[in-house]
Amino acid sequence: MFRAALRSLGQHKVRLLLTLLAVVVGVAFVAGTFIFTDSLKQSFDALFNAPQPDVTVSADSAFATGGQGGGPGSGAEQVPTVPASLLPSVASVNGVAAAYGVVTSTGALVLGKNGKPVGTAGPPARGISWLPDSSINSISLVAGRAPTGPHEVALLEATSTLADAGVGDSVAIETPAGHLTATVVGLVSRGIGGSDGGTLTVFDVPTAQKQMLGNTDTFTSIAVKADPGVDQDVLARRIAATLPAHTKVQTGAQRSADIANRLQTAFGFINTFLLAFALIALFVAIFLIFNTFSMLVAQRTRELALLRAVGASRGQVRQSVLAEAAILGVIAAAVGVLGGIVVSQGLRLLLGVFGANLPAAPLVIQPRTIIVSLILGVGITLISAYIPARRAARVPPIAAMRDDVSLPSKNLRIRGIIGIVLVLIAVLTAVSATRHLDDNLRATQLVGLSAICALTGVIALAPILGRWFIGLFGAPLRRHAIGNLAVENGRRNPRRTAATATALAIGLALMTAIGVLAASTKASVASVVDDTIGADYIILGANFQPFRPDVYQAVKNTPGTSTVTFTRQLPLSVGDSQGVLTGIESGKFQKVFSLTMDSGSADNLLPGDAIVDSDTANKLGLTLGQNVPVDYVNGPGFLILRGTYKPAGPITGWIADIQTLTDAGGRDLDSAVYIRSASGADPAAVRASLDQELAAFPAVKLQDQASLKDQINQQFDRVFGFIYALLALAVIVAFLGIINTLALSVFERRREVGLLRAVGTSRAQIRRMVVIESILIALFGALVGIALGLIYGILFRKVLESVGITQLAIPTGQLTWFIILAVVGGVVAALWPAFTASRLDVLKAIATD
Amino acid sequence: MTIAAHCLSLSKIYGDGDTRVTALDAVDVEITAQQFTAIMGPSGSGKTTLMHCLAGLDSVSSGQVWIGDTDLSQLSDKDLTRLRRDSVGFVFQAFNLVPTLTALENITLPMDIAGRKPDQEWLDTVITTVGLGDRLKHRPSELSGGQQQRVACARALASRPTIVFADEPTGNLDSKSGAEVLGFLRKSVDEFGQTIVMVTHDPNAASYADRVIFLADGHVVDEMFNPTSASVLERMKAFDSKRA
Ligand SMILES: Nc1ncnc2c1ncn2[C@@H]1O[C@H](COP(=O)(O)OP(=O)(O)OP(=O)(O)O)[C@@H](O)[C@H]1O
Ligand SMILES: [Mg+2]
Repeated sequence: MFRAALRSLGQHKVRLLLTLLAVVVGVAFVAGTFIFTDSLKQSFDALFNAPQPDVTVSADSAFATGGQGGGPGSGAEQVPTVPASLLPSVASVNGVAAAYGVVTSTGALVLGKNGKPVGTAGPPARGISWLPDSSINSISLVAGRAPTGPHEVALLEATSTLADAGVGDSVAIETPAGHLTATVVGLVSRGIGGSDGGTLTVFDVPTAQKQMLGNTDTFTSIAVKADPGVDQDVLARRIAATLPAHTKVQTGAQRSADIANRLQTAFGFINTFLLAFALIALFVAIFLIFNTFSMLVAQRTRELALLRAVGASRGQVRQSVLAEAAILGVIAAAVGVLGGIVVSQGLRLLLGVFGANLPAAPLVIQPRTIIVSLILGVGITLISAYIPARRAARVPPIAAMRDDVSLPSKNLRIRGIIGIVLVLIAVLTAVSATRHLDDNLRATQLVGLSAICALTGVIALAPILGRWFIGLFGAPLRRHAIGNLAVENGRRNPRRTAATATALAIGLALMTAIGVLAASTKASVASVVDDTIGADYIILGANFQPFRPDVYQAVKNTPGTSTVTFTRQLPLSVGDSQGVLTGIESGKFQKVFSLTMDSGSADNLLPGDAIVDSDTANKLGLTLGQNVPVDYVNGPGFLILRGTYKPAGPITGWIADIQTLTDAGGRDLDSAVYIRSASGADPAAVRASLDQELAAFPAVKLQDQASLKDQINQQFDRVFGFIYALLALAVIVAFLGIINTLALSVFERRREVGLLRAVGTSRAQIRRMVVIESILIALFGALVGIALGLIYGILFRKVLESVGITQLAIPTGQLTWFIILAVVGGVVAALWPAFTASRLDVLKAIATD
Repeated sequence: MTIAAHCLSLSKIYGDGDTRVTALDAVDVEITAQQFTAIMGPSGSGKTTLMHCLAGLDSVSSGQVWIGDTDLSQLSDKDLTRLRRDSVGFVFQAFNLVPTLTALENITLPMDIAGRKPDQEWLDTVITTVGLGDRLKHRPSELSGGQQQRVACARALASRPTIVFADEPTGNLDSKSGAEVLGFLRKSVDEFGQTIVMVTHDPNAASYADRVIFLADGHVVDEMFNPTSASVLERMKAFDSKRA
């Protein structure tokens, strides 16, 4: 039986190749995900082995990781510091070999040759000091030398490439303290935690203090090297004993563990995320494999019947089919693991395209990767082949003697009933979800459950829907014989058409739902910008970094403006929850930004007064007039709650007068400048004057409302683009499925094609017939997918309304593209089968053996 | 008497070296228009090959084939296809019909493919003659073998081709169904002036023809006009004894 299985595999090479490809793609993606994340992890492990201080002394604040934060739009960069005066006392502790002041901060924008900051929005632009002791410095020089003096820097290799400035070149840098032109004297490689794709500029210690912190009497931390033989923990305890409050002492091991934890969480998430898409692709592959085996079995009905007639048991027939599947699965899984290497590299590239710059990593293929891939590959193939195998076993021996045999197949009624029941459940859960909109989690779960029921329901109903759909959409095509033949071909095997189309439907349903959410998110952002921002122009830091107050000074008296005001931001934490405090110029701010108050008032905010968005107030259980204890970067403080506002718009969290921030030790760096034109002013003239004033400040960007929306949208586009790229995989597998189905159908119908050719059908007409069938299948899949995706996109949007997606937008343009792509994909998928069909030998096809 | 199709020193050789088979060896045949011609001969004598070559379904190794005035060797695949569609009708031994189409759709298939409207009057005549009036909306799987072959005959005639080729059209039928089909073919020659070439093994079937061409080992060895089943049978016995 095993030999029979092998031989049978050999006889259907091309078709099996396609099936193989589907499993390979799925498995390769799973393997690739594992290889990718394992490799990354390994590269981080390598980072931990890099030299680092035995003990680090820093400010004890909720923001000890200050340099790591600063996602897009937060702008809340504030560095916890320790007094420089601590350095001698730390150095004198018994067991300390050496102690160094260290500066690590953000906001050192390296300007490219075009005068614009290099790098992408998001990851911070770091400026740090050079730690002269290489045995504890995690950053190492790869070229040139360390910087000394106020006009020398070293750059991260990648940053140097971006800025097109190598050793010996001069480079312009915007720092919190001002504009600096320096010579690049060295190139460095990344250290721990510097792996997020941001830029890195290295100064000597005094320059770093001046440029990054604006003074020379603080450091962000003190790095300690222990005497040989002194235990890190012991030394850390000794040092801690000599230090004042609000300082934190960490050993190298603790820091490593901290960073490891953070990375583990981050990459655990990526891993899960990528695996989810891999499984979607594999799920789609099931349909393809199922179809292939069904057809292979159908084609071999006679052969199988003959086996039965000469005495093979049902079990043996079933086993022979399953053995074929197993062989196929093993081969596919093996190739898939190899493909995984390619995929892992592809993922790196893809993540690179979408903004993340990952460290070079060795290729790590763990046994787990291979085992999981094998199990998945073989498992999926066996599962998909099981039903065809069972059906094969039911072939009656007499089928060997009959001319036209069809496999025993249950009629569609049971499937129809199951499908209708599932769809009903889907409807009920969806309705129940809309009743529980206040309970976000519950509603999301209900919609998710409903989506799964609807999907399986539609899969069950697909053969019935497919016949109906193709009949309906094909009706106008029936006027011509070729169209009529194509429509009939599409309808004649509803299960096969359905399995092929649903594979595509799954991919497109997900893409559509994501599309609806993406469009709705963008529309919501736009409406928030419209509703809240009264300013005509906003100046923001390039890459959302804070910028010097000179900018405000330069534009505040621009003719044609009525209000110009700035904001600053400072991170703070209330209890366990971290937030941002935005400092405003009371009175002026309300003219450029409309806050809808839920309670209290935002007028006349005195130093120490603050308002907060209602969500935060509710979460923390705050009441008006309450004295709220908060922690700033450099110590504790109080805020008196004067009001709560509806959370909306780019500003959320705490808002207070600018004086409050200054009192709390905020840096003199602005997060935004809002500008409102005077009524009757010529917008072009105002814009021109602003542009002129800002020419001297390359690190900021003048936005109007439209470009602001664009900029925010770009952030979303990146995320959604990444998801689309991953979902495209499932769609590609689905199109492989269409190719496969058509190829097998053509093979099955080769006699019929021969007959058609004999009675005068031209090759072009045969091709057209196959292409039309393909388009009909693809359209059916696409429309079912889009319909499902629309319904669940809309439902999920409804559920997510409470988290800010207030607007519903249907991306009609995009959906039209999906349909066009489905048609084009249908044509492309049909090319090869159509070509084969048109080249069939007329005489062989009609030979009567 | 016009010639509907003819071939001159037509040879067809299959394979090479050891497997070389000369299926037709310099055959000259003329098919007279508006006649019912039968081709007979032992198995492997080249009947099917001759028919396929005459119909432009197969390429020839040497020699020439004409349908009407058209030299088939001059035609591209496209032109051959058009010729088959417009000027030739086929009835095969089995699998003649497209299973997804109704009987009527199968009958009009060549014209539908050409995008031509069938001549309704002629179509009605053919359908009436073939005697399928109430079965036109049925799919092939719902028709008996004899009915299927009659539908195939109707298709072959519906586009009024120059010539109809039938390869053992009654090979799979019982004698009653066979008689129906043969009767129909005969009628189409007598009443509508069709030209029909039919390959058969059956002396009785051959007796419906106006003329029988006998093939053996790729050669035309004899012909007979106005055959009866008895005379055909006798002639065939004569071959067998000659071969023996
Ligand atoms: N495709 C082919 N390849 C090789 N040889 C072939 C091919 N088709 C036919 N032949 C050979 O050519 C010869 C004539 O075959 P043909 O089919 O014309 O015979 P026939 O008279 O129709 O026989 P039958 O009465 O059995 O149908 C035979 O010897 C056959 O083996
Ligand atoms: Mg023959």
